[in-house]
Amino acid sequence: MTSNIGLISLIISSILSLFILILFFKHVLFGGPLHSKFFALYNASFFLIAVSFVLLVISFVVSDFSIVAVYENSHTDKPFFYKFAGTWGNHEGSMLLFILIISLYGYLFLIFTKQLNFSLRFTTIFFQTSLQFVFLLFLILTSNPFEKIFPIPNQGLGLNPILQDPLLVLHPPFLYLGYVGFSLVFSLLLGGLVTNQYNQNWAGLAKRWIFLPWTFLTFGIGLGSFWAYYELGWGGYWFWDPVENASLMPWIASTALIHSVLVMDKTKKLFNWTAILTILTFVLSLFGTFLVRSGILNSVHAFANDPERGLYILFIISLITLSALVIYILKSAKQTGDENGFILFSREFSIVVNNYLLIFALTVVTIGTTYPILLSVFTEESISVGPQYYNTILAPFVFIFLILMGIGPYMKWNKNSFAINRNKLTSFVLSSLIVTALVSLILKNQNFIFILGVACSLFLIISVVYEFAYFKHIKLKQFNFARLFSHAGFGFLILAITLHYFFSKEFTTKIQLGETSSYQEFAIKFSNYFSKQGKNYQELIGEYEIQKNGEKVILKPSIRKYSHPQQFTSETSIRGEWLSDMYIAMDYTSDASSGIGIRFYYNYSIRLIWLSYILITIGGLLSFVQRKNEK
Amino acid sequence: MSPATKKRLSFFLISTIMFLIVGKFIYNSLQGNTVYFFSPTDLSNLSEKPNGLIRVGGLVKINSIQEKQKNASYTFVITDLKYDTYVEYEGLLPNLFQEGKGAVIEGVLKDKKFLLGQKILAKHDENYMPPEVAEALKKSGNWNKNYDQ
Repeated sequence: MTSNIGLISLIISSILSLFILILFFKHVLFGGPLHSKFFALYNASFFLIAVSFVLLVISFVVSDFSIVAVYENSHTDKPFFYKFAGTWGNHEGSMLLFILIISLYGYLFLIFTKQLNFSLRFTTIFFQTSLQFVFLLFLILTSNPFEKIFPIPNQGLGLNPILQDPLLVLHPPFLYLGYVGFSLVFSLLLGGLVTNQYNQNWAGLAKRWIFLPWTFLTFGIGLGSFWAYYELGWGGYWFWDPVENASLMPWIASTALIHSVLVMDKTKKLFNWTAILTILTFVLSLFGTFLVRSGILNSVHAFANDPERGLYILFIISLITLSALVIYILKSAKQTGDENGFILFSREFSIVVNNYLLIFALTVVTIGTTYPILLSVFTEESISVGPQYYNTILAPFVFIFLILMGIGPYMKWNKNSFAINRNKLTSFVLSSLIVTALVSLILKNQNFIFILGVACSLFLIISVVYEFAYFKHIKLKQFNFARLFSHAGFGFLILAITLHYFFSKEFTTKIQLGETSSYQEFAIKFSNYFSKQGKNYQELIGEYEIQKNGEKVILKPSIRKYSHPQQFTSETSIRGEWLSDMYIAMDYTSDASSGIGIRFYYNYSIRLIWLSYILITIGGLLSFVQRKNEK
Repeated sequence: MSPATKKRLSFFLISTIMFLIVGKFIYNSLQGNTVYFFSPTDLSNLSEKPNGLIRVGGLVKINSIQEKQKNASYTFVITDLKYDTYVEYEGLLPNLFQEGKGAVIEGVLKDKKFLLGQKILAKHDENYMPPEVAEALKKSGNWNKNYDQ
């Protein structure tokens, strides 16, 4: 019953979307006033999608196995929490969430832009509806989340245990709120171009709609990184896995976009560049969805499915990209700003240089991610690209990037301001070098890359702290907290990554019960083990005593054997020591008394990485606090 | 040439040179860090032993996993049901690494039949077959519909 209502509301919603598109064309082609219920129809289509999503959630919660998606991905044994979050732990449910968020952004846009020029407003909604319509068709025709199964099975197949984690509730929705959210600024761009309102005011308006999804995306990626760290037991925070890269690509593009839209807002420059970045950001978000959903990748995110859907998504992406480019080419020439004449060492100059660096990083990540796929499509060869590829190419550019991030904000718009800042910048360089020398002596590491990484990130951090501490005469409200927080966060991130890279330790061993295994300053004793029965799994828990420089810590990693589906997961045990972590993941064994294999990691300054993610996210949130000197 | 043309021309030349340098840089780094995949049949057909890191994938042969006395060290056989590759691996076996299931091993080849494994890739769910392994089984003519879930 619920499944019928769910499907019917999706169908009605797509009919309404089609009707909205027709109303728009009628207005544009034949003149006459726009239908008075245009926006009301859009809101109705949003509510219908929301209703069908809620119904799917209910079906998962009550384990309605007459629905294929529920049957294949749920089980009555599962705790309530995972029945609920399991809604988006599969292809159909996550696509429905995807569409719900496209629609939600349109809905929010209508709420917050009541004062906006009428034609820009309805044209933007027209483009947002087109996106919604295309994806609704895709959902209903190829991946109906309410598809039924008969006879109704008594029991479901269960959810992949790796996904049975509290973060399943947060990570996918935030990631989607991020990259699907860029659909709105994409529609806004097309709306602006079509109605000839792509100008400085557009930049002022678009800023908010870039910051919002960017903040969600940053947070979503951070959550994913944290999840991989403690749940998958791989001991690290980033693996340059194609799926991780899929989320990083739109992040880099949107970060470049945030900065270029600021230049557009302040100096009437970079009109074309901003337009291209807007299209690129959304297309990369869709491309990420394609990579993950098409099943061509080997990853926890690929829900082993039908590659045909991948082809459909590829077709939709091409369609959207081509239409956007055609509109851009036809319309952009009429409304370019003052493109020429960048002044050396002005604020916009440093932003443009950083934009080039971001595009370079984006190119590197895109090539590394797509090259193996293209190669396997066109030749018989199957390859993968190792993490060293990314590390060696990106590291030197990150250092330059950090320095520019430190210098840029001290420059003035439209003015060469190197001379007036020379003393300040020299003092930043000196103080960062002194602190770096101290760090290098204390930690006894004189590696060149290490020193460079620490010095450049400290330069950025010092420049941010100085700005905050020195300008006493500026009122608190006038600070650009958004920039200060996110830039400081990025500085700390690179600092933490450098420290983690050079000081982390990892080793694997097998220890007999009661025995001790030593590695450098660590001594690990396997002191005890016991087993436990969970709701839908059996658990074997080990107890390890770790001695480091006379201090003793007890870690209790475990291994879970899930029954539906039958699979093992490692539950890591992590104990913090200031900013660093001691971390043990345990191996499965049928006979624990003969010893268990473990992986031990000492993750230096890993908590600083989480802290940096939080700082950058806070920076994004603070962009919504109105500053006093802002119009 | 007018000054404006000169300026544009020099801008064009500089960006072309920059582009080429950066392109070469990316290309070299990509070449140096590419890991090729082979099935056991591919390996047996090779005339020359590949150097550096490679990946070998197939099914873990039933009853082939053996634990050595040494600290967490194992040997096992990867098969595409036509040819076998022997693997020696030091480290822990991932939870999803099981006999009869698909796995991909990254390591260095000692000779055409013997791989020193460094990393085991098995991080998907229990029904999922790595695409490379499915391809290897299809190539060796031993693909079975049951493997598809």
